[in-house]
Amino acid sequence: MSDNILINGPVSREIILEFLESSGRDTDTGGHSVFLGRVRADIVNGKRVKAIEYSAYESMVRVEADKIKLLILAEFNDVKTVEILHSTGVVNAGEASLFVLVSAGHRQQANEACSMTVELIKEKLPVWKKEIFEDNTSEWRQNDIH
Amino acid sequence: MEINVLFFGVLAEVTKTNFRHYNNVRSFGDLRLRIEDEFPEIVHYNYLISVNNEIINDEPTIKAGDEVALMPPFEGG
Repeated sequence: MSDNILINGPVSREIILEFLESSGRDTDTGGHSVFLGRVRADIVNGKRVKAIEYSAYESMVRVEADKIKLLILAEFNDVKTVEILHSTGVVNAGEASLFVLVSAGHRQQANEACSMTVELIKEKLPVWKKEIFEDNTSEWRQNDIH
Repeated sequence: MEINVLFFGVLAEVTKTNFRHYNNVRSFGDLRLRIEDEFPEIVHYNYLISVNNEIINDEPTIKAGDEVALMPPFEGG
């Protein structure tokens, strides 16, 4: 398992290619499922999102990501590896902020485990996002209860 | 006892800090009152609390050197 869950800035093309290429080294895994999350240029109250600034509780991200990986490996006996990369800092609209790669013997468990991993990331990883708009104002997502 | 408190997301913005060190903390309840006394605006926000990277639901027993974090609902991905 990789310990480096958080990376500063977007998940780059180079990083994605590196992970995809390294997934071919284990010749026992025939099914590899990838999830790529990109920043959407949403319109919020009439303003377009140009980027998201992510912040994270780093030590807890490591703890929770390890728990997610162990849970997936326990749940899916055909899954061999689970890789998770999440951005911190500023990621522009269109750029990738989340990369998940699940490698399994066969496709079915790879797909199911990848989907479950993404859901667990959304639920369990202590990461927060601030939307930055085209007029350079910004807003935290969904936090204020008033 | 001495306790370190971390603030994340919108809470770091409203408290204008991401870290506070508290001395002579008697209990978790005492710590919570002191945080809310120093940063009364946080009561307007919804947040989770963790102690040493574990989310807590009830009032936990804390010990010197513990790391307490106040975290808005997670928004990863």
